[in-house]
Amino acid sequence: MPLELGDTTATLIGVVTVDEVEELATWLRVTAKPRVNLRKCNHLHTGAFQAILHFRPKVSAAPTDVFLAGLVLPLLMGSGGPPIRERSEP
Amino acid sequence: MNSLLAQFLAEAADLLALVDAGLLELERAPGDPDLVNEVFRAAHTLKGSSGLFDFPELTRLTHAVEDLLDAVRAGELPLDSGMTDDLLAAFDLIRGWLAYVTGNECLPATAGADAATLIGRLRAPIGGEPVPAETRLGSAWPDLAPSWLAVFDQEWLAETAAWLRTTSARMRFARYVPDSGCFFRAEDPLHLIRQVPALARLDVLEPARWPAAEDYDEYACLVSFVFAARAGAGEIGYLFRYVNDQIEVADLDGDTIQRFLTGPAETAVEISKPGPEMTGEARAVLAAALRGLSANPTGGPHLISVAGAITQAARALGDPVEIREPDVVTLTATVTRLLADAPPPAENPVAENPVAENPVAENPVEVGGRILKVDQAKVDHLMELAGELTVAKNGLAFLAEGADKEFGRRIKDQHAGLHRIAEDLQAAVMDIRMLPLSVAFARFPRLVRDLSRRLGKSVELVLTGEETMADKDVIEALADPLVHLVRNSLDHGVETVGERLASGKPGTARIALAAAADGDAVVVEISDDGRGVDPARVRRKAYEKGLISEAELETLSDADAVDLVFRPGFSTAEQISDLSGRGVGMDAVRAGVQKLGGAVTMCSQLGGGTTVRLRLPLSMAVTQVLVISVAGQRFGIPVDLVVETVRVPVAEMGRVLHQDVVVLRGEVVPVTDLARALDMPWQPDPAEDRAILIVTVAGQRMGLLVERFHREVDVLLKPMEGLLAYADEFAGTALLGDGLVLLVLNMEEVLGLAARVG
Repeated sequence: MPLELGDTTATLIGVVTVDEVEELATWLRVTAKPRVNLRKCNHLHTGAFQAILHFRPKVSAAPTDVFLAGLVLPLLMGSGGPPIRERSEP
Repeated sequence: MNSLLAQFLAEAADLLALVDAGLLELERAPGDPDLVNEVFRAAHTLKGSSGLFDFPELTRLTHAVEDLLDAVRAGELPLDSGMTDDLLAAFDLIRGWLAYVTGNECLPATAGADAATLIGRLRAPIGGEPVPAETRLGSAWPDLAPSWLAVFDQEWLAETAAWLRTTSARMRFARYVPDSGCFFRAEDPLHLIRQVPALARLDVLEPARWPAAEDYDEYACLVSFVFAARAGAGEIGYLFRYVNDQIEVADLDGDTIQRFLTGPAETAVEISKPGPEMTGEARAVLAAALRGLSANPTGGPHLISVAGAITQAARALGDPVEIREPDVVTLTATVTRLLADAPPPAENPVAENPVAENPVAENPVEVGGRILKVDQAKVDHLMELAGELTVAKNGLAFLAEGADKEFGRRIKDQHAGLHRIAEDLQAAVMDIRMLPLSVAFARFPRLVRDLSRRLGKSVELVLTGEETMADKDVIEALADPLVHLVRNSLDHGVETVGERLASGKPGTARIALAAAADGDAVVVEISDDGRGVDPARVRRKAYEKGLISEAELETLSDADAVDLVFRPGFSTAEQISDLSGRGVGMDAVRAGVQKLGGAVTMCSQLGGGTTVRLRLPLSMAVTQVLVISVAGQRFGIPVDLVVETVRVPVAEMGRVLHQDVVVLRGEVVPVTDLARALDMPWQPDPAEDRAILIVTVAGQRMGLLVERFHREVDVLLKPMEGLLAYADEFAGTALLGDGLVLLVLNMEEVLGLAARVG
């Protein structure tokens, strides 16, 4: 199950697909002070990404996936992230 | 209509007039860089403003025009008359569209097709296949940075630019705007982006306004992305092959990004434009850099971008500098040196750049005169109110007469003050309505050019006195008669080149339009050096058409014969052309001008040319009338007809050929009894002197027997309406200060009536 919804924390596991988007969005909408745990998340569907971007839950744990951690997470944490050039430099 | 569109339309009208004048001028002085620039700028402004609205055809067409003009401006190709024709046609089409837009707020359905043909013709000389509309105007820069580059973190961009410059490398920047329903097609934009090799940076563009939480649709994709990658354009193109309409990729080098960072607002055109503006801008950049350096001497990326800006500015000033290791001290020193070396701007660049450069300028304070565009109806209303005030003020004078002495004097004092203010107000409003004659003349260069080409005649148009001012109503009313007269001159007056040369005249004919102020009238003369009017032919024609009797045919003087052309039903052209000569020409002109309270005269010399003289009142809003009374009833007579008022002893009245006459300074003036003409029973007191008003009507001096003369008043003449509209003998009605309705006489009709009554 890629989505585990708790009282205040949603844990996203593995590949979050479009099928989880509605559930996640509904949960974000009704939960006060929501938190999301992305540690085990390998991919976030754009719909889920957009929902998190919109409702701005606190990201309690950063993902380990390189793309998500390096490029997507900074967008969810607010503007600007650490420049990532040194890693992607050839 | 939305106010932005209304403003655009008003502005576009001005720009079009400017372009028309400029293009015609250009034909005369080909290659004049100032003129080309002026036309180019107008076209550029039009294009820029049109982009604010959903008029893609307009933007595309103006773009094509601009490209052609740009080539002309750059001296790449000379402007020939074929190109001028195409350009004029393009602006005519635009004018037509704008008229349609005014009514319908959208372009006509045929716009696309119409534009396509013209765009093809316009682009032919520059040899370019149609450039897609999206192409930015800065085609001079092969890779102009797209505006969405601003979404990226500026610090990161500055660093990247520096790195790319150092390594002479390039990077691919892309904007991906997924369609909002893409989730339903099993698309996952982030998944696509994830697959881009060597992705360096990702930024998200959030919607300008998120919907409220309850309206939020999690299945609509609202976000879009920009990303930078070292992947090749081919790789990115392959990955996004199914959504290639949603992605825009730019392959940029460090310099381009740097240029974008230093001057995001600058367009390439401005950059490539050398000259004082450029220097001024470079100086401004340097000054800003200096301020930035002293205010915020932080490290790293900030300094790199400042250094970039300085390098750019230095290049613009023609003094390139190389900044290798930027630090605050060297930068400050460089900027200071550059600023000292750079010539100070010659003139205030703001004053030099017309406002047209930036049509939706946000800066509310403009250097130079400020122009307020006001709806014409508002000014008309103001005019009416000023007129009413004058009338109401006149009422005070009557009030004063009715009041007791002391109080009456006080009312009179007040009246004097009010009078002054009302006069000033009236003058001020009149002034607003005043327009230069150049407005009425503006269409003629074009008209003459087109017609003379069609007729195969060579004509030079000379305009003088365009700065003469007249009321806008007069200017507007003048338009039709003038067009008629100029067409007549072109069609009938001016000979073909061959005929002219044969008669020893220069091949190029000359039509002159001259305006001059003459007291409270404006005189407009249309003269040509063509073949002139042949009085003998006119006489014969008029006789054939039954306009004159056989006796007149013999006796009519040449000057009077020329005047026959103004008779209804007279047309001298042997062959009716589509330009003029349908036999409604000159009499329509005379009628039109007389309706304005003016007069038309023509003098012509056979073989030497014709001059038509229009005399019109400067303003038609307020009419001065002389109040007279006949059989106890008051009437008004327009003052401009009045020559003098005389009192003649009964004994001096004479009678010649059943007509009362009076001899004034040796001249015999026929006298008409106004009371009889108006069918009002009245018997003058035999003991009293006769009050006779001398008027000039249709060039003839006439006496009018009246009962009494009253004052002269300024009135607002209202035309006869409704049931009285048929009453031609009255020019209109006016309200006097004492509440009396004054009938103002139309003297021509009244005298005609008198002649019929006998």
